[in-house]
Amino acid sequence: MADATTFTNQTQILEPFRGIKKVTIEEYFTSGHRTCQGCESALVMKLMVKASGPRTIVLGSTGCMYVANTTYYTTPWVVPWMHTQLGSSGSAALGTAAGLKALMKKGKMKSEPINVIAFCGDGGGADMGIGAISATLTHKEYNSLILLYDNESYANTDIQLSGMTPYGAHTTFSPPGKAHRIIHKRWKKNMAGMMAAGHPECRYVATVCASYAVEMMNKVRRALTIGGPTFIHSLDPCPKGWDYDPMLSHELGELAIETGIFPLYEVEDGQLRYYGKTKAIVEGRARKPVREYLLKQGRFAHFTEEDLSYFQSKVDEMWNKWEVPGVVPFRRVDAARTAATNT
Amino acid sequence: MAVATTAAPTASDEKELLISGSEAVAEGLALADIDVVTGYPIRPYDTVIQAIAKKIANGQLVAEYIVAEGEHSQFEIVKHASTVGARVFCGSSGVGWAYAMECLVVTPPLRVPMVCLVGNRALDDPGAFGVEHNDALFVRDLGWMLCWIDTSQEAIDTTLIAYRVAEDRRVFLPLAISADGAFLTHSQALTLVPPKEKVDKFLPRYDRGDLLLHPDNPITVAPQANEDWVIEIRRQNDEAMKRAVAVIEEAYADFRKVFGRGPENPWFEEYMTDDAEIILVGMGTISLPMKVGIRTLRAQGKKVGLVRLRWFRPFPTEKLVKVLSRAKAIGVVDRDYSFGSPFHSGVVANEIRAALYNAEKRPPLLSFICGLGGREVTLEDVYKATDLCYNAANSGKSEAKTLWLGVRE
Amino acid sequence: MAALICEVVYRGIFQKNLAARIARGIVLSARKSGRWGIAFGRYGDSPQRNGIPAKDFAIVADTKEELEQNMARYEPKHTDVTIVLDDTLSKGVESWAWYGLQPINRLTVPNGTVLMTSVQPFESLLQDIHKRDTAYKLSLVRAKASFSGLWVHKEDHTEARILGALAKIAPSFLALDGVSQAIREIEWGSDLKVASARKAYDRLETRQVKITEGNAEIPYSFEMPKWWEMREGVTIPAIPIGKPKEGGQGYVPERNPYFKKFTTRTMRPVIDFDTCVKCNLCWISCPDSCFDVMPDATFDANMEACCGCGVCEAVCPVESCITMVNEAAFEDNASQWEMWRKDKAAYKTWLTAKIGDKQTTVRSHGFRFRGQYEQELTRDLDGGGVEITAGIPGENAAHKTV
Repeated sequence: MADATTFTNQTQILEPFRGIKKVTIEEYFTSGHRTCQGCESALVMKLMVKASGPRTIVLGSTGCMYVANTTYYTTPWVVPWMHTQLGSSGSAALGTAAGLKALMKKGKMKSEPINVIAFCGDGGGADMGIGAISATLTHKEYNSLILLYDNESYANTDIQLSGMTPYGAHTTFSPPGKAHRIIHKRWKKNMAGMMAAGHPECRYVATVCASYAVEMMNKVRRALTIGGPTFIHSLDPCPKGWDYDPMLSHELGELAIETGIFPLYEVEDGQLRYYGKTKAIVEGRARKPVREYLLKQGRFAHFTEEDLSYFQSKVDEMWNKWEVPGVVPFRRVDAARTAATNT
Repeated sequence: MAVATTAAPTASDEKELLISGSEAVAEGLALADIDVVTGYPIRPYDTVIQAIAKKIANGQLVAEYIVAEGEHSQFEIVKHASTVGARVFCGSSGVGWAYAMECLVVTPPLRVPMVCLVGNRALDDPGAFGVEHNDALFVRDLGWMLCWIDTSQEAIDTTLIAYRVAEDRRVFLPLAISADGAFLTHSQALTLVPPKEKVDKFLPRYDRGDLLLHPDNPITVAPQANEDWVIEIRRQNDEAMKRAVAVIEEAYADFRKVFGRGPENPWFEEYMTDDAEIILVGMGTISLPMKVGIRTLRAQGKKVGLVRLRWFRPFPTEKLVKVLSRAKAIGVVDRDYSFGSPFHSGVVANEIRAALYNAEKRPPLLSFICGLGGREVTLEDVYKATDLCYNAANSGKSEAKTLWLGVRE
Repeated sequence: MAALICEVVYRGIFQKNLAARIARGIVLSARKSGRWGIAFGRYGDSPQRNGIPAKDFAIVADTKEELEQNMARYEPKHTDVTIVLDDTLSKGVESWAWYGLQPINRLTVPNGTVLMTSVQPFESLLQDIHKRDTAYKLSLVRAKASFSGLWVHKEDHTEARILGALAKIAPSFLALDGVSQAIREIEWGSDLKVASARKAYDRLETRQVKITEGNAEIPYSFEMPKWWEMREGVTIPAIPIGKPKEGGQGYVPERNPYFKKFTTRTMRPVIDFDTCVKCNLCWISCPDSCFDVMPDATFDANMEACCGCGVCEAVCPVESCITMVNEAAFEDNASQWEMWRKDKAAYKTWLTAKIGDKQTTVRSHGFRFRGQYEQELTRDLDGGGVEITAGIPGENAAHKTV
């Protein structure tokens, strides 16, 4: 019963696509899905497997990308795909990777690196499944990628607020009313920062936005190449829940980054690298005012000037006060004191 | 509490070990060469994980061994490992099993042949470690195969049989082996452990076939379905459970052929039932004090017998009815409760009532709730149950349908 | 007949609130004449998706008992009136939870009515609506499809006008006075809306449709397998990998054979292959993988897969290279690239006509900025909410404003 094999736990070496013209022409996620017009999460699915290639297994936890995306007999998947429970993206990644590893190690299956990607929405990932994701990110001997597609609500079930819904947004669980204009007063979780900071042996964490498709795919390729458990947080504009003309999905993705609401960065082996327009912001380029982003969405149509300024001030904090801007919200005590004396 | 085994040492190639029920399961798992195992601590089932961990540490088993962060993940991890072709094991007890409930629900429609050990334990609150069968019974309607064992020997044998049955392509359903907390999981008995070569003859490799999730077999598993599909999917599950009956019988017959031992009747053990006027029925280690009591009662001239049910799902309806119909009265001793159910009886009692409904001869049936929270079932309990059954037999009916035994009142 | 069964066929999310208003409005209006009623959405359509056809139902009857047989079901088997809130649904309904294409008039009873908001002539609608073997009526409320999103509603009076029109079609169930009274009392109601309902009643255009009329195409249908024919473990085959377009060049993905997006869109992209700079942006950005790669490295939007979101137009860097055009302007789903390859000059003429018609390129697919709907509606509502040609494309595409 000794280890009978040449198994080495290697990953596929996926070099970055050097520009849009070099992106693989094959599709591994095609049509059959019933997502909304302009669904950015469906695009994330397409780009995710375009990046990973055919030797990939995808696990999808309950959410839009399960219910709308993969209906009985009308699958869009070319690669093998399996549903997992709402809070189970971490466990699905881990179990699939462990099963493959065991069989290859014991010579029961041909040994080859197979990409394992489990995706979850913000509800499944940042709310219910955060424990399992956290656990998986500590199992460094299993290669898998967990991709959180964040459309900022339980969009599948009718747009209910999640721990990732922005402050004040209109959802079916947080309708603006006569007595209370704002029902949802929580600030959104900082998922990628939390995953990177809390899992010292997770070698790769990144944030992405499909408005920047090639960059997004290259982050997926990097995560799969580095191996071990990795985590990517994707911000996906949602025409249904955010209430905007589906044509504008990309524009809203861009605005989320240009306003500094959603920073783009990767943390590889503990090294933080901002990229894209976020890099420019860190280097001093002015952020667009958040109102340019918020007022293009029906979910914020009830905002008053006061709400807009509150939102702006919270985003300003991310960049002006956080120890690592946009990533780590701590402040050193001495720095806080200095700031206090200066005011 | 130590339990004596009836298995005598033989001159065969099997080795005899003094091991607990949990350790016996672990011996079976090593022989079955499982690929992925997940653990999470909860008494009493976790003793099996402790035993497996030692085997892995000592190189007696090569498997991916994952300590999960909760039972929900514990069961999801093995579910997914099973879909890529790995032979898997996990288990739980009491509220731990309840915590995994969502994941227990999905395995039958996904046709995942995971094998689990449920170390039966009372449900919270109050937190109690002792045995009750309500935990495993949660899943009785959902497509899980359920069996109860009563000795370490049966633990190892049933572990091997469990993989053979669950992984049969005609079945592909999850299977839970229930072992009573403390009495079986924690007490050691002399147990025969067969050699690997024989096990290999009995237990083929797990072949996921056309359901294998692998780039060489691109499939979509468990897409969302609406009312156009679900009843058909349930009907498939129903058929798999029906097919399991023949597969279980085949497996026990082959087990006897390969290992030269094991019961002829897989479904239940009969003890002194041939001429019995009163037949007591129970599951798990309850059988041990009952057998002792029955021997005393027999010495007093009372014709009492025991049916110890091994398989609860699939339920051996016809076979059971055939035996029980012969009695003048039946006493079902449940180590569980079913509040508000018909006659406020135990789960097994009501299942047997339902099974007898179409029988030509329906003896009076008494339901006894007994040994909850791990309380010992005493000889007095057995005598009292027998007396009450005799009363019912003599009057031809039972006034009180359900009685609690051993409760302070 | 002592019951009136209405279905409201609409574009998911865009018209969800509107359809609910209409279905509820029917019941509340009929209540004014002492009728009983129920309103419900088709459960299988939920969770709805932007643009994917969905249905609501309203049933009103003389007695509660007559309602019972219509309750506890997903969808009535027949409807007296089929209300259609976007005339591009004339091409049929391939809904979220339905396998195959359902002609828009499939449930309408013989001599029943299909009531539609449309600015198209009857004849061009009848090119799209499937032919059937019993006659029925087609009634038109002259207005463009009203689209808004979940949270901000466009108050363009469409719901009032539909109810007014219905009073004309089924006066024994919905008296115009009852409709007016109900609209006045309802949370979205107003006197101006009552006026709109009355105008719609007066101006409703109706035409008999004969069995010889309509689109003769046999719609795709799907036979449900039996339980023992389905693969176990809730498992279905994946989609095969795609192939080069021709001669080893280009690429056409395989697509799911059971679900097409022929009826999911209200607009489709029209592509100018002559000005395409082959930047790949439309292809990479399409959530529906609808762009087939042609041997010359241009991209052809495949109508099997396009759901009409318009992201391609938004990301295309070339002016008028990709233009979203209303579905009503098209008779088929043929390949534009093949048309272009066959005769480039003819294609240019075709393209110019398609993208040059401002009526068909105007876009109104929901919220773009706060205050947009009010801007759209100011000039129209003064006259009592009639003749709205709703829809400006928003501040980012001023050049497409009517």
